[in-house]
Amino acid sequence: MGSVSPDGAVSASQPLPPPTPSEGRVVRTTNYVQTAIALVPALVPAAIVVGIAVTLVLSTGFHNFGWGFFGPIFNSNANQFGMLVFIVGSFLTAVPALVLSMGIGLGIAIASTTYLPRWLTQFLDPFVDLLAGIPSVVYGIWAFVVIAPIFGLLINPWAVMHLSFLPGFASNRYSPTTAGTGLPISIFVLTLMALPITTLLIRDALRSIPKDLWESGLALGATRWEVMRRVGLRHSSRGIVSAAFLGFGRAIGETVAVAMVIGSVTKYPTNVYDVTWTMSSFMFQILDAAFGNSLYLSALAELALVLLVITLTVNIVGRRLVSHIYAEEVAGI
Amino acid sequence: MATVLSTPPRRLDPEDDLRRGATARLKWRTGFDRWVGYLLPLLFLIAIVPILDMIFYIAWQAVPTMSWTVVTSQADYQAYDALGVPIITSFYFISLATILSVALGIFGGIATAEFLPEWVAGWIRTSANLLAGMPSVIVGYFGYFAFVLYFGWGLSFIAGVFTLAFFMTPYVFRTADLAFSSIPRHIREAALGSGAKPAQYIVRVGTPIAFPQILTGVFLAMAIGVGETAPIVLTVTTNVLVPTGIFQPATYLTGLIWTGYAQNPGSTPYIIAFQAAFIIILVVVALNIVVRVIAARFRKRLEGLYQ
Repeated sequence: MGSVSPDGAVSASQPLPPPTPSEGRVVRTTNYVQTAIALVPALVPAAIVVGIAVTLVLSTGFHNFGWGFFGPIFNSNANQFGMLVFIVGSFLTAVPALVLSMGIGLGIAIASTTYLPRWLTQFLDPFVDLLAGIPSVVYGIWAFVVIAPIFGLLINPWAVMHLSFLPGFASNRYSPTTAGTGLPISIFVLTLMALPITTLLIRDALRSIPKDLWESGLALGATRWEVMRRVGLRHSSRGIVSAAFLGFGRAIGETVAVAMVIGSVTKYPTNVYDVTWTMSSFMFQILDAAFGNSLYLSALAELALVLLVITLTVNIVGRRLVSHIYAEEVAGI
Repeated sequence: MATVLSTPPRRLDPEDDLRRGATARLKWRTGFDRWVGYLLPLLFLIAIVPILDMIFYIAWQAVPTMSWTVVTSQADYQAYDALGVPIITSFYFISLATILSVALGIFGGIATAEFLPEWVAGWIRTSANLLAGMPSVIVGYFGYFAFVLYFGWGLSFIAGVFTLAFFMTPYVFRTADLAFSSIPRHIREAALGSGAKPAQYIVRVGTPIAFPQILTGVFLAMAIGVGETAPIVLTVTTNVLVPTGIFQPATYLTGLIWTGYAQNPGSTPYIIAFQAAFIIILVVVALNIVVRVIAARFRKRLEGLYQ
C-alpha cells in the first residue's frame, strides 16, 4: 500500500486513493496531427450518441404532432397520439422508486462506510454490485412469478382494507384475484434496480470524506452519527445529488422488467394499485403493432426522442456533478 | 443498555444538559449512535434477500428440468424443451458483438487516456457515460430504425449484433480509458524519458500493465450484453434454427424469457423461460466474479507499481 502526495512523494501508511482519470497524463501533447488522429477512435461513443439522436429525429419523419403530442388522449386507431398517459405512468413509477432507493441506498452506504467492520463490508458490498449486474429480464420474470402474487394476494388487499382512509388507497374495483401487476410492484422492481446505482454512488461519495475532517469531528466529541449527519453528508452532498440524478435516469429508462409487471394498459391510474403503462415499456411492447403504420412509427420515434432528452439531461447533470465514479469499474454503472 | 433508551429526553437542545445533567444527554447520544449502528446494516437485507431469492428460485424452477439433452438438443424449441439452438445462436451473437465493441471501443479509450487534452477527454468520457446510461429501448429503437428499416437488413441476426455491439461499446471504452489513465505517471515518464515514442510506450509498457483491467471491461460488456433484451427483441425475429446467414432471423436467450414468462406454468415456453434465465444468471454471475477478481488484482498490481 502506498499513496502519492501532490509532489510525487510516496507515503507507505495511507491506502491508495481511487485513481483519477487524469493521473497518468503528464506530457500534454502539442502535436496536433497526433491529437487529430487520436480523436478519430475517441469520438466513437460520441458519434454513436449523436447517431442515435439523429436517427430518431429523422425517423419522426417531421410529422407535426404539435402540442397534441403531449395531450391526454391516445387512440392509435383514430391517429390520436397524445402521449401524456405514458409520461404520467413513467413519472408515477420512477419518482417513488427513486425516493425509496435513495433512502435505502443512503442507509446502506452509511452503514457500509461508517458502522460495519471492514471484513463484513467486504462480504456484503459485492451483493449490491451483483444487484447491478442481474439482467432486467431476470428481475422481470422473478417479480412476475414470485412477487406479483404477494402483492396481489397479500399486500394490496391489506392496503385496501386498512389504508383506505388515505387518498388513492381506496378501491372498490379491486379484487384479490388480480394478478398483482400494476404500480406497486413496478415501483418495487424499479427500487431494486435503481438501488445499486444510488448505493454505489453514495458510497463513493461518503468514502471520499477526508479522514482528518472525520477525525476532527470525533475528536470534538461528536458521535459517528453526528459527524456523518452534520459533516459527512454535507461534504458529500454533490455525490448524493449525482446519485439521485443517475438513479432517476436508470429508473425512468428501465424497460423490460417494467414491461413484465406494469400491466400494460393505456389508462391513467385511478388508485395506487392500478395498472398503467410507462414510456419505455410502451415503446418496447408496441413496436410490432406499429409496423407498417408510418404515422404510428413516427409518433413512437418522437416518444423515444422525449425519453432520450429526459435521460440525457439527467445523466449529463448527474455525471458532471462528480469528477469520477469509481463504481463504474466493477459494476458497469 | 436498555436503561439508556427507556428515558430518552424529549428535546435535544443545550437546556436539556442543564436540566438533566450532561451525563444523561451523553448517554442518549451514544446510545442513539449505537442503535443506528445496529439497525442501518439491516438495510443490506433489502439488497441481499431479493438477489438470493431470485437466484435460488430460478435455480429451483430450472434445475430439475435441465439435462444435458435439453442444453444440446437442436430440436424446435417452440415445441420441445430444447435449448441447443438458442444457446448456439446467443454464443454467435455475443462473440460477434464483443469483437465489434472491442474494435469500436478499445482504441478510443486508449487515445482518450493518452493523447487528448483534458477538456476534450472530459466531454468524450461524458459521452461514453451517456451511452452507458442510455435506456436499452432507445438503443433498440435506433437499431430498428437505422439497421432494420433504413439499411434494409430486416429483422435479422446482423441488425441485432450491431445494436448489441453499440450498447456494449461504452463499457469497453471506459475501462480501456481508465486502465491507461491509472498507470502511475512515473512509469510513463520513465518510458518517454528513456526515448520511447508514445506508440512504443502504449504497446510495450502501457498495454502489459493495463491489460487485465481492459479485460475486465470486455467481460463487463459481455455480462451486460448477455442479459440485454430490448435491443435484440426489437431488431431480430425468432428462428427455430441456427441462422446460416447474417441476414436471417435468430433467437436470443433473453428473448425466450420475454416470450415465455407469462405462459401457463408447466407449458414448454414457461419451462424454457426459466431454463434460459438460469443459464443467463450463471453466465452473468460468473462474468461478474471474474471481473471482480481481475479488478482486485489489477489494483494490487498498481499499488505495487508505486513502491
